[in-house]
Amino acid sequence: MAGRGRGRGGSGLSLTTEQIQALGVTRGDNAPPTLVPPPLFPKLEKKPLPLICDAATDYMLIVKDQFIEYLHESPAFVKVKTETDGVERYSDKYKMLALDAKQNKLLDCVWVNMPTELRPQAKRPRTVPRKRKLDDPEEIAKRLQTLEKKETLETDEAIDGKKKELNNENVDEEEELEDEHEQEYELDDGTDYANNYFDNGEDYEEEDDNLDDGPVY
Amino acid sequence: MSHQLGRVVSVILQRYFGENVQKVGDDLFTYGSKPIALLVKSTGLSRIKVVESLRTLLKYDLAMFEPTPNEVIADYRLIPENVLLMIRYPRYLLQIKTKYGSEAEILIEELLQKACSTATVLLVSIAVKYKDDKQASVAELKEGSEIPTLVPVATITPEIDVRAVIKIMNSGNLAESSDNVYWKVNYDRFHQDIRDEIMIKAITRRIDENAGELLRHMLQHMYLTSPAWAAESTLVPAVELREACLRAAADKPLLNQYFDQYLKVLGRKKKSALRVTEESGCGTVRADAGGRGYSVRGAGAARGCLLALLEGLVTERLGYKAARIFRIILDKKYIEEDDVQKNAMLPNKECKELSYKLLEEHFISLQPMRKTASAGGMNKAVYLFHINLHDVAHTVQDMCYKALGNVLRRASHERAAHARLLDKQRRVRSIVHGMRLRAEPQQNIDDVEETLTPSELAVLQGVEKRLKQLSAAELEIDKNLFILKWYFMYTH
Repeated sequence: MAGRGRGRGGSGLSLTTEQIQALGVTRGDNAPPTLVPPPLFPKLEKKPLPLICDAATDYMLIVKDQFIEYLHESPAFVKVKTETDGVERYSDKYKMLALDAKQNKLLDCVWVNMPTELRPQAKRPRTVPRKRKLDDPEEIAKRLQTLEKKETLETDEAIDGKKKELNNENVDEEEELEDEHEQEYELDDGTDYANNYFDNGEDYEEEDDNLDDGPVY
Repeated sequence: MSHQLGRVVSVILQRYFGENVQKVGDDLFTYGSKPIALLVKSTGLSRIKVVESLRTLLKYDLAMFEPTPNEVIADYRLIPENVLLMIRYPRYLLQIKTKYGSEAEILIEELLQKACSTATVLLVSIAVKYKDDKQASVAELKEGSEIPTLVPVATITPEIDVRAVIKIMNSGNLAESSDNVYWKVNYDRFHQDIRDEIMIKAITRRIDENAGELLRHMLQHMYLTSPAWAAESTLVPAVELREACLRAAADKPLLNQYFDQYLKVLGRKKKSALRVTEESGCGTVRADAGGRGYSVRGAGAARGCLLALLEGLVTERLGYKAARIFRIILDKKYIEEDDVQKNAMLPNKECKELSYKLLEEHFISLQPMRKTASAGGMNKAVYLFHINLHDVAHTVQDMCYKALGNVLRRASHERAAHARLLDKQRRVRSIVHGMRLRAEPQQNIDDVEETLTPSELAVLQGVEKRLKQLSAAELEIDKNLFILKWYFMYTH
């Protein structure tokens, strides 16, 4: 204590040689660099008492193992679908055998006491996925046909309509056509800077093919 | 519901039922009650897997369901206590075996595996399994052995028609059973038995064998009149007790001779009639002042056992000196630090260090008392050590959960690390067993056994030893948890 008081000349941030000596660090030895990582678990000061290992405990352990084995074999043990990495292995044959043996076993329960959603017959509420209409090529062909028909009908009507209005709008159309041509000519410069890549998002809502009836819960 | 409890429940489910059930169980534990749709969303499993896991949980009574306000969908809730009970199954089986014989044990084992079944299905499946060994004994099983630890779910005891059972056995068609009374294992009765055993063993160790006998008779009388878990049973008249002892323990002359004195020792109290003796005498019996009757105090016994448990725990963790300090504080109720040192007769520094360590581990707690001096004097606050038994019990329970979780986790880690080797050993064993049944020449058997190289064998031996130790540790921790639960029954 006295040494500490005497050595306090400055603000006391660093220790004087006296203080360092008092702490036990002598001059010569640097703390040897620790090459070994610190131990994983702290050292036990008091060793615990040894476990009781008599015949009764042994018997209990055997019984417990048997029970766990039974549970693992039964359908109570729910298997995780392990992902294969696509490589065929020799052990696949045996694994498949074991899986198939267990696959169709239903757990033996008192069904009356369980809520309806857990019972086996109510297991398929909506497991058949709704077929998207566009997945089937036949559907696609049919749809294309209907669209074609619609288009021909429309073009017929459009042609009739146009003939009537052609006289009225002839000039305008021509002008528009000319303008468009000119515009195209100007626009198509060969550089990207001129081309209009801006998409103002109006196309987003146009698609009306609501083929599925909303999300299925 | 603590974090440690959640962890233990999770690890137990994984060990016994696999990872899917573990995930579902975890989710239910964290969020309380949930319907299936929410479970599917939060666990990320497919609906089929969730349904299967729920079936398993409901079958083994680890979860329950109740209707939501919707009245069509069910909410599922986990029952953590029952999950913890699964660790205790081997203890039940051992108990039944020692008390009622191996046939009863087979019955209970089958029922534990099935969780719930009708009597005929049970008997038939046992008969099918043990066809080679026990033929006729199956029929005698039900009538012969008095098994009070089964309970029919509908509280009607059915008549077991033995002839129908045999008929089904021969035809092998289980669907013919017309029983519709389901049986389940009655855990409560098992717990009663375990509790009695603990009390009797404790008394025997403390005092004498005769005292143990006496307590056993007293307990038997107690069951006739009062409920099993009452904090204090109804009075047993001393005369009846004496007669019962005379009849039963004819080979224990000492008991009858010193009957009165034994009773006195069992019930010795310090000072007043309401306090419980901790050190000697156990306070398990209370004498009625006037009418010479005795009652068994279950609460007192629980408390005594808990204190013994705590002392043992302190001794193991911090040494016998710390245990001495603990006992002193227990004795004096509220004591100052200097007085502890005086009473314990330990060197000052060590005493202080140990008492602070005890404080750190929450075995003892501080109670400040201000000596209010007049203004200007030294306001010195005096700190008294004392033991808050309820808090300490909770701390120890949490410690047990943590230890149990660690043990199970470590065991599963070992199993996963050596999964290939363990699998190989299992296959070799089954092949050798099959070969032995077919009586193949020893040479072939040796060849198969040699596929396990000596170094692999050595590694496997180490692994098996460690796994066995961890399993035994599970059972030990479970014993402590039982005592803690027993104590908590009386303090709420």
